[in-house]
Amino acid sequence: MSNVCEDHIFSKVFKTHSKTVFNYIFYKFGNEEKAHDAVQEAFVKLWQNCAKVSPEKAKSYVYTVANNLYLNVIKAEKVRLKHADSIGNDRTNESPEFLMEEKEYKEKLDNALNALPENQRTTFLLNRIDGKKYAEIAEMEGVSVKAIEKRMHLALKSLREHIDGI
Amino acid sequence: MQENYLAKWLSGELSEEELQEFKNSEEFASYQKLKDATSKLTAPEFDSEKALQRLKDEHIENAPKVITLNPFKKFLKVAAAIALLLTASFFYMSTLNEKVTTNFAERSEVLLPDNSEIFLNADSEVTYSEKNWDTKRNIDLKGEAFFKVAKGKKFTVSTDHGTVAVLGTQFNVENREGFFEVTCYEGLVSVSYNNEETKLPAGTSFLLINGKIIDSGAPSGSLPAWMNNESSFESIPLKYVFAELERQFDITVKTKNIDTNLLFTGSFNNTDLNMALKSISTPSKTSFTIDGDNVLFYAGNTQQ
Repeated sequence: MSNVCEDHIFSKVFKTHSKTVFNYIFYKFGNEEKAHDAVQEAFVKLWQNCAKVSPEKAKSYVYTVANNLYLNVIKAEKVRLKHADSIGNDRTNESPEFLMEEKEYKEKLDNALNALPENQRTTFLLNRIDGKKYAEIAEMEGVSVKAIEKRMHLALKSLREHIDGI
Repeated sequence: MQENYLAKWLSGELSEEELQEFKNSEEFASYQKLKDATSKLTAPEFDSEKALQRLKDEHIENAPKVITLNPFKKFLKVAAAIALLLTASFFYMSTLNEKVTTNFAERSEVLLPDNSEIFLNADSEVTYSEKNWDTKRNIDLKGEAFFKVAKGKKFTVSTDHGTVAVLGTQFNVENREGFFEVTCYEGLVSVSYNNEETKLPAGTSFLLINGKIIDSGAPSGSLPAWMNNESSFESIPLKYVFAELERQFDITVKTKNIDTNLLFTGSFNNTDLNMALKSISTPSKTSFTIDGDNVLFYAGNTQQ
């Protein structure tokens, strides 16, 4: 039977899930350094307990460890995300007003995202940036798919209200 | 509109009608813009290869349990192995037999644990167990030795020809190829040969040449001749005399036109080769030449 203790299996689990663990912690706390540390801690724990954790359980194991790591320990910081440059060559002739509007919109979006409750922001970004399906996020967070849908709905609602200044 | 329709819209799970209804709503444009904008968001860079390498370097190969526990465990393992080895070798060494060997032209004395003495003639070897000496006084002998045995329990000398058992006595055992002689100088010696026991009182000898027991005269003196640096023979075939000569002087003896089964009576000095050669050649009416470590004996004037 395959075992996480085997180097190639462990490496595979790491490569498949480490980025999501990193993002997950980053969306929660907005701290890149802590997110890197969380990846290390979570996978060291997985390695130390490799005999007890099956490869199928390894994924939720590392999320749980990472999640519990900073629970109530660190204060959430502002989550700073990059906005992929939407202004390509074909749009260099956009008016300065438009560019200004774009910039303002991004700032508003950033603020709106940071204003979201932590669980809504994490769920929303895992879906929007990492393309995680609601079911996957539900598994990671240990809640129902419906709860994730609720978070997504509320997140979208809050974001629009925040941006539109309602 | 169904519950959480915004989530359903994002995941593309709205029905045709619901989607149409949503699109007609006044807030749709805002949501569409939000959807577009958030699809362009990216998280900070994360290099999983690098992170894995860091994990292996900092944590797995040097994981706390590895650094703190393992070297000590390893040390313990090594220490235990060494202790075991030392103990085992101590017991092994203590059961190992003592061995004393002499080469050609060499003599040696061995003092046994009970103060019995062994004098080893040239090219001889005795082996005994120091540890079990008190319970079993046994000597394995190859070659020739003179024994002065302290009073005590049974003392045996084992040879490939036979066994000599004694009780407080002085005797000489010569155990060479095809030649076995036991001479008792004091006390009583019992010689076992082919399951036959022969009692040797002081002043008698037991001689065996090529498996034949030969009557031999009484030994002269109270010590074997070799103890006084002489090799003495009485009616002994020449080949054994030459063999003894080789042993005493570490030389090679060759013969030409000589019947080495002829019996020889006489003795030679063990310290002066020239005298020894004359002591043999004169009574046996032979001649000899020396070439380094080689001596050639030949009959009469047959050399040239």
